Amino acid sequence: MSSSDAAVHGHGGHDEHDSNPHLAHHFDSIATQNHASRLGMWLFLGTEVLLFAGLFLGYAVYRHFYHDTFRFASHTLNLTLGTVNTIVLISSSFTVAMAYHMVKKGNNKAAAGLLVFTILCALAFLCIKAFEYQHKFAEGALPGKWFTFEEMKGMPGANMFFTVYFLTTGLHAFHVIVGMAILMWVLKKVIKGQVDASYSIPVELGGLYWHLVDLVWIFLFPLLYLI
Amino acid sequence: MAEKNKQAADPSAHEHEHGAGRYVLIWAALLVFTLTTVITGRMDLGGANLPLALIIATVKATLVVLFFMHLWDSEGINRLVFGVALLFVLVLLAGVFGDLLTRMPDALPTGQHAHTLEGGDMPTTPALNPHAE
Repeated sequence: MSSSDAAVHGHGGHDEHDSNPHLAHHFDSIATQNHASRLGMWLFLGTEVLLFAGLFLGYAVYRHFYHDTFRFASHTLNLTLGTVNTIVLISSSFTVAMAYHMVKKGNNKAAAGLLVFTILCALAFLCIKAFEYQHKFAEGALPGKWFTFEEMKGMPGANMFFTVYFLTTGLHAFHVIVGMAILMWVLKKVIKGQVDASYSIPVELGGLYWHLVDLVWIFLFPLLYLI
Repeated sequence: MAEKNKQAADPSAHEHEHGAGRYVLIWAALLVFTLTTVITGRMDLGGANLPLALIIATVKATLVVLFFMHLWDSEGINRLVFGVALLFVLVLLAGVFGDLLTRMPDALPTGQHAHTLEGGDMPTTPALNPHAE
């Protein structure tokens, strides 16, 4: 890592392979490598969008069939907890963007603090979600044949709302867990000084994944809790 | 190590000329939109509830994608990739709803059929279902 100063000045590219330990041999310059890394990440995020699109489509179809049931069912969810979780995720998205900003500024210490806060937000989100799940389990508001929710007994499509609810929020919660693991990996790199102002692509791409988790929730929240 | 680069110019930061203020601004906007959607979501706006909630969510998502995810000043190819993904989401929705909305009632799933025929036995709460069709 003693060569990072040289890497900063080696922007021209001809001797970057000697000066930058982060540059793989099949890339001409760190700029080309960053470009490729970003493109790869956006391609992956595109597939993630399509993965969730399938579930959102399922929601849309069943909402179309069982409009009133879905409207009723959404009011059985805890709006306060849903709102708190939305604020938690949006704030964690903000802090992860700030962590990237701080790494770019060369302030890894601040970046590490922001990443720790982000991971704690992820943990808080999961705890609140688990609390909500537990409450729904107790009420019998479960998907498919396990649906025994007294409040909505006899409503056509009632179990479909909770099937969609558990599938979408479950897949999202899984992404939160994966996101936490990625952020911990990024945090390790930040603390060890393996990323800095001249090489910050792991922080940037890890952050992109976390923003996607936020993005999915931005749509899940109103669709499930509000309308 | 980190301190050493504090003053270093950033070679690959063409996308990073703005300061932290922009992030704070976006964060504040996202919080305001969240509170707005919670308040309007619980108001009875008739048929406007769903479109309004979707519009607010789309605005929030756009802010996150453009500024937190830097698509605003990222390489054009990344915008193309994400745009194509969104386009295919629309194709998916258009195809499926093009089918559903043009079906004869007999060709609908049984649950929906039952609902159409004997929808009267569905428990409804006036406060929650003011505009049941």
